Amino acid sequence: MNCEVCQLKELEVESFEIREVLRCILHTIVFHRALGLIRPKDIDLELFDITYVQCGEIEVEKKIDETIEHFISWIDKHPNKKSQICVSFYEVKSKQPSWFNNKQRSYWEQWYVNLNVLHQTKSPSHHSKLVMDTGETSEERSSRRTMLEQSLQEVLFQIIKFVNEKKDHVPPINDGVIYCPFEITMPSSSDSTFGMDIFKRMLHSGGHPSMLS
Amino acid sequence: MNRSSSNSEGAKAEQIIFEFFAKSLHIILESRTPFMSSRNFSGDQMICSPSPSCSSSSSSSVRPRDKWFNLALRECPAALESFDIGRRSSLEPLVVDVVLVARQPFVGDQMSLSDQDELACETKNEQVIERWLVQYDNRKVREAAASRSSSSNSKLQVMYKKATLLLRSLFVMVRLLPAYKIFRALNSSGQICKFKLVPKVPTIVEPFTRREEAEMQKFAFAPVDTVCGRLCMSVLYRSLSDVSCEHSAPVSPTFITDYVGSPLADPLKRFPSLPLSYGSPPLLAFQRRHSWSFDRFKASSPPPSVSCSPSPTRSDSQALVRRLPDIPTGRRKDEERDFSPPCSPSGPVSRGITRTESAPVRIPAPSFESKQNLVAPSPRLKLLRQASLKPVRNSGGAVESGAGLEKLFLYGREEFRRSSGVRLSTNSSPRISFSRSSSRSYQEDFDDNDFPCPFDVEYDEISDPSSRPGSFDQRGDIHEPPLESSGSYPKKSQDAAVGALVNMLKKAPPLRQDVSESSIPEIYWNNNKKPAGAHDVAAASMTASGIALAAKTTADALEELRSYKEMKNVLLSQSTMGSSSVTTSPFAVSGS
Repeated sequence: MNCEVCQLKELEVESFEIREVLRCILHTIVFHRALGLIRPKDIDLELFDITYVQCGEIEVEKKIDETIEHFISWIDKHPNKKSQICVSFYEVKSKQPSWFNNKQRSYWEQWYVNLNVLHQTKSPSHHSKLVMDTGETSEERSSRRTMLEQSLQEVLFQIIKFVNEKKDHVPPINDGVIYCPFEITMPSSSDSTFGMDIFKRMLHSGGHPSMLS
Repeated sequence: MNRSSSNSEGAKAEQIIFEFFAKSLHIILESRTPFMSSRNFSGDQMICSPSPSCSSSSSSSVRPRDKWFNLALRECPAALESFDIGRRSSLEPLVVDVVLVARQPFVGDQMSLSDQDELACETKNEQVIERWLVQYDNRKVREAAASRSSSSNSKLQVMYKKATLLLRSLFVMVRLLPAYKIFRALNSSGQICKFKLVPKVPTIVEPFTRREEAEMQKFAFAPVDTVCGRLCMSVLYRSLSDVSCEHSAPVSPTFITDYVGSPLADPLKRFPSLPLSYGSPPLLAFQRRHSWSFDRFKASSPPPSVSCSPSPTRSDSQALVRRLPDIPTGRRKDEERDFSPPCSPSGPVSRGITRTESAPVRIPAPSFESKQNLVAPSPRLKLLRQASLKPVRNSGGAVESGAGLEKLFLYGREEFRRSSGVRLSTNSSPRISFSRSSSRSYQEDFDDNDFPCPFDVEYDEISDPSSRPGSFDQRGDIHEPPLESSGSYPKKSQDAAVGALVNMLKKAPPLRQDVSESSIPEIYWNNNKKPAGAHDVAAASMTASGIALAAKTTADALEELRSYKEMKNVLLSQSTMGSSSVTTSPFAVSGS
């Protein structure tokens, strides 16, 4: 299957902004791939004057939040690095039913979220304090914030455009499947995390429950 | 067979197209229609507000329409019903204009002085900030028909999937465009905006000029191919800078003041705050001012009535009208300030104002209406009406109805009457006989809430009409009916009344003279400050100062006098301190 790839514009973020920025982007991506019956949920960002949409599925929210926490902890260990998060949508196709009962994932779309995390000084969990602690003047801070807001908005537009232009590769809507199965990985994490992820993927290769049909 | 199946597919396609139009419209309107103006924002409307909590969970059941494109949207009936999409042909392009309507109140002397009630200080400045175009392009009908194959059913599915994807994009898109920020601002409870957002589905689309079009940005969604054509959607929108610079200016505090006081805006807070409002800082400042000026008048006792003759009143109300637009921070404060010179010694001024605030909630209509009908138009009256009405109109509905406005106006008049009455009464003892009769008529004719008015009448009656001929007629008109109906105070000639009063005054014990100045306003205040349940007590206290004079011993009266004197002193002393909170206590004491 044809796998479409979208490289999103790189965003320069401070560590305390990671959470909101990633939530916004990841949820927007998944929302466009949640083709089952959904009740969209508007979320206003706290740091930016932007409203994004969630598909309203708790599992999705949980998965995204976990990924973000994971990413943040990785960023803590690897400061001032450009990092990339990949959201991959796949279909599970059972090929050659063997003793391993292996079902192969067929990736049909990948989104690369590129972040350049700046000023890695404190734990992002204390992000409210960070605002005060960094040496930036308030003007610099607000102009930087404005820039980031614009860039984030551009990224969201980029997502919309991509979704609009590329529709043919999206698998047909299956009844009962709320969102297309996806995984989130961090290719930049060449350490054990990534390896673990691959290992986990192998272990749970049974596929997403929604794909059993 | 094949033909019928293709027909049914065509019908299905048509239905998908129709539903696509409807859903698109719903998505756009839902994110562009402020459900209520922020002025009238209440809990009920919050169900439709764009907050995260209610957008998804307002209703858990799945409505048939939600299933279309697997997108459950918030109920937006008002918006949808106003556009009768059902009668549209799907071949007609659907245009949705999102219009920003700016309300720009006149700020200036000229407007206020002229009698332009219905102008409502409003000019309209409209600007289309978004134009959505949803259309079904069937130019490819033949081509599509030619290429129709047995897989048309799967084509339908593909079409449906792509339409679903497009609507997902639309849903996100409407929230990214600048107009959504305005929508959010309008829907946020704390903000009152000078503008409103009006989505329109024009039957005749007025094309943009080239210049307009050049100013706007365009986003075209990728078309969705259908069985026999394609669905197209695009939006022309203004950039945020165009929109926000012109229209999102901070709102004049005038609106905020009235908004806060508006029972519509905050009906629940209104009631608990009612008693407290009497002790609010501006009012207290006002009361202090009165006690001061009252004192001054007392010092120069003989001519105070001169200062409250109709002409200063008129000029003052004019001054008020002129000043109002320029002082945005508080209509009530302005009124108090501006009314205070002619009626400086009277407490009831503040009462009238605060009553006005509560008019839609509490004022007992019948008694006031009866008075209302009797209001004789006079120049002064008109000016007062202007003075009291203008700010209310400006505020766009702080007082809920015309009746409320009339009450407000009546109160304004009474303030003047009362104030002049009080001033005149400082001359000597007429207060005694007057208060006696007043309390009697009050009790017979009015319920507790109304008593200040008849009480007032008595002041007017007792005051020398000849000194204020202009205003006397007016007052007499207003207050005769209650007196007549009371039966206890039959209508008599003014001279006779004055004569009777003079007689009574002559017979009255001297100790009351001192009291009258301070006690009477105190009584007013007591009554005003009482919530409904406490009026009995207030009435009783009035009786004590009026009817019960005969029954009471001189010692009782002396005691009462002393308490009032004490209160007066406390007031006077505290008024120098400028602390508003302190002054509340004497009133509270006097009320108990």
